[in-house]
Amino acid sequence: MKRTLQLTLLLFCHQAMADESAVTTTDATRTAYSQPIPALTAAQRPPFLQGRSLVRQVWVIPPSENREIAGLGPLYNRISCIACHAGNGRGFAPATPQEPMRSMLVRLSIAGENPHGAPNPHPVYGDQLNENGVPSVQGEGRVAVHYTPRRIQLNGGEHVSLRQPHLKFTELGYGAIAPDVMTSPRIAPPIFGLGLLQAVPESTIVAQVSAPKPKGIQGKVNRVWDALQQKTVLGRFGWKANMPNVHQQIAGAFVGDMGITSPIFPAENCTATQANCQLAPSAGKPELSAQQLEATAFYHFALAAPQARQPQDKEVQRGARLFQQAQCAACHTPTLTTGEFPALPALAHQTIHPYSDLLLHDMGEALADHRPDFQATGREWRTPPLWGIGLAQKIEPRASFLHDGRARTLLEAVLWHDGEGRTAAQAVINMSVSSRRALLRFLQSL
Amino acid sequence: MKYAKRLFFVCLLLWSQLSIAAEKVVVLTSYPQEVITQFEAAFEQAYPNFRLEILWRQSRDAMTYLHQPHPSVDVYWTPAQRNFATLAQEGAFRPLDIDLHGLPKKIGGFQISDPDGQYVASETAGYGMAYHLGELQRFHFPIPDDWKMLASPDFKGHIALPIPSKVGYAPMLMDTLLQSEGWESGWNLLGQIAANADLAQSGATFISDDVGRGRVAVGITIDFFATSAIANGKPLRFAYPKKVGYSPAHIGIFRESQQLAGARAFAQFVLSEQGQRLLFHADIRKLPVRPAVYAHKPTGYFDPFAAVLRAAYSYDMAAGLARQELVSALFDALITRPHQALTTMWDAIRQAEKYAPNDPRIALARQHANWLPVSSAQINDAKLQQMFIQRNDQTALLEQQWDADIALHYAEATQLAQAILGEVK
Repeated sequence: MKRTLQLTLLLFCHQAMADESAVTTTDATRTAYSQPIPALTAAQRPPFLQGRSLVRQVWVIPPSENREIAGLGPLYNRISCIACHAGNGRGFAPATPQEPMRSMLVRLSIAGENPHGAPNPHPVYGDQLNENGVPSVQGEGRVAVHYTPRRIQLNGGEHVSLRQPHLKFTELGYGAIAPDVMTSPRIAPPIFGLGLLQAVPESTIVAQVSAPKPKGIQGKVNRVWDALQQKTVLGRFGWKANMPNVHQQIAGAFVGDMGITSPIFPAENCTATQANCQLAPSAGKPELSAQQLEATAFYHFALAAPQARQPQDKEVQRGARLFQQAQCAACHTPTLTTGEFPALPALAHQTIHPYSDLLLHDMGEALADHRPDFQATGREWRTPPLWGIGLAQKIEPRASFLHDGRARTLLEAVLWHDGEGRTAAQAVINMSVSSRRALLRFLQSL
Repeated sequence: MKYAKRLFFVCLLLWSQLSIAAEKVVVLTSYPQEVITQFEAAFEQAYPNFRLEILWRQSRDAMTYLHQPHPSVDVYWTPAQRNFATLAQEGAFRPLDIDLHGLPKKIGGFQISDPDGQYVASETAGYGMAYHLGELQRFHFPIPDDWKMLASPDFKGHIALPIPSKVGYAPMLMDTLLQSEGWESGWNLLGQIAANADLAQSGATFISDDVGRGRVAVGITIDFFATSAIANGKPLRFAYPKKVGYSPAHIGIFRESQQLAGARAFAQFVLSEQGQRLLFHADIRKLPVRPAVYAHKPTGYFDPFAAVLRAAYSYDMAAGLARQELVSALFDALITRPHQALTTMWDAIRQAEKYAPNDPRIALARQHANWLPVSSAQINDAKLQQMFIQRNDQTALLEQQWDADIALHYAEATQLAQAILGEVK
């Protein structure tokens, strides 16, 4: 009891501190995820605005007179960053098999791993299904998302209908995809606050692995390949913590989702068997210049995280206590402290509230994609940060939750927790109606 | 039996719609992602047998692309008036054989659709003033309701004005102001506003940003950047001048379209009540061209068809497009390049007027300040216009001459005003 009270006190002290933060925003409108940190200087504004323009840019298929915004394709999923990250927020899963994936993609791999420990890409389709091609190149195909319903009864009598997704490939442009190919659908995650997460020292993340936790909860780090440093490092971004830093995350999305090469990934996203793809014109080598990549990364670094709202509300406070009691905070760590961050010194030594330990956790069979990614097993997922999550559906009304967007509400997302998250999910199922409402109010206040 | 047969065919049709891959409709546009997102999702839901493929290109690049052999595009849907006019002249469009009932070709005297019906307006935007109420109140400024108000010296240092040669929407803004106010009076007004303003080289989002964070009190801009920011919670407001200038976007179907049914479906959807109502979305905030949908407009939404009843003027779109580069070059010569001299000159004239309003030298100074290298008669000279569309050595020489002449006139005006001030002191 004493420990719970201490934790709650800590939580609210930190929330109060956040009100004065130079790295968070009080904006709670539909532009909340697009605000620069208040500490951004006048000199830092031009690269921030350039990065914003690049993130908002709809890209052009080469050849083009506008060389600086050309490079889309030969194969691609969407035509701009914000096509998936609307308002810099999260994407959503299609509601029906007929609906295309508008802010979601499917990763592909075959058994084994590449020399750096990454998943082995499919020999024909690569590591991601690109639905679209430039006019001379056939798109790779479509994915229909079907759902199987699953009902859960909560204490108090309420029933919640969950939906388990199943993928079906259609209109495949380069031959069949064998049933044993590993697939992993992923919705677009929000892109604010990434500089702060990168500023968390590796030692802080590693220390959490051995920190005391409730029974059944472990957590581990992913070790991934850093393409620039050419070595294995700590992974901290992406649904499976399979990306080492913001630069590589951005460059990976540019080439994987839009077919735009960059200094980190200078090769077009064509496999050896995709002849037309290899012959398609390129807008440059690379297409996204080093300077543009820097500006885009800087924009991501400088996007503020939204501050928690209504921390004085009694129901929100009760929800915060229940969040602790239900063991949610064991993985969704409320508070971290950043270290040095020369790329944007204002982010250094900040107390932040991402509600994530940035570690991998076994989330059980129902959420498993059975597709290992570096040291993450098919059942493991990185704890996604919860900051700003209460604004997700204000910014994108169809925003959904969990890696594949199967959860349409935060309650559904909680109920899918299994494995290391089972105790928390069960606690929420067992809660009284008013406690559950308070917990959800708390989540909505983040 | 007859009904059973009919039912069978209906089922067959429905089944085929569900199981056959959707046909691709290729749409060329330069719309921002927010517009594309809303229309793509709504169109594909309304017409599940078609799938939109967006080819995104800015205006000049689009023309280069379209002039390649067989560019494989079905629909052109974008704000690029000159491109539409040129393509129509080239015979690139097929007549729009869709239902255009309820879509007027004009907003008052402002022609928005092609009189020959090869392409039609799909939405429009209006020019006006984004302002920060807090900043206006802080300096005790009135809420602007017309361009003329911004020429007051009170607004000095509190305005952002876009440079038309740098900011895509600004050439038409300047020309609508020049046509509504008159050639000489319009430039006179622009010069005085510019003397109060920071000149913006980047687009309207930046002007909205600057107003939103209170760096300037008023930004002259196109409405949707500001009204969308307002709808999304930003602390700025927007006012239209009495005579509103419009920048319509259009839609046309290419003669060589390979997917005519899909092209028609998309054009029909964009112009339909459902499509037009999408323009009210907080991320879009364009002005529908179907007057009936204003019955469902969000509170406070501007209705151009109602506004035109209050103050109308005739805008000659063809003339405006033909002289666009010439007007932008004049703006650079009169305002952008000599901005410091322009500001100094108007400061001096305004000061002198305050102390000696009846001094005849004031009128002379104003004559010099308002001197124009191109008269209203010359502005529609096709040769001169062409010289600025396809720039050459002669263009540069002419601009040098303008610069020299303007510098002399501004210097003369400044000296006259400063002489008065010197005497007062």
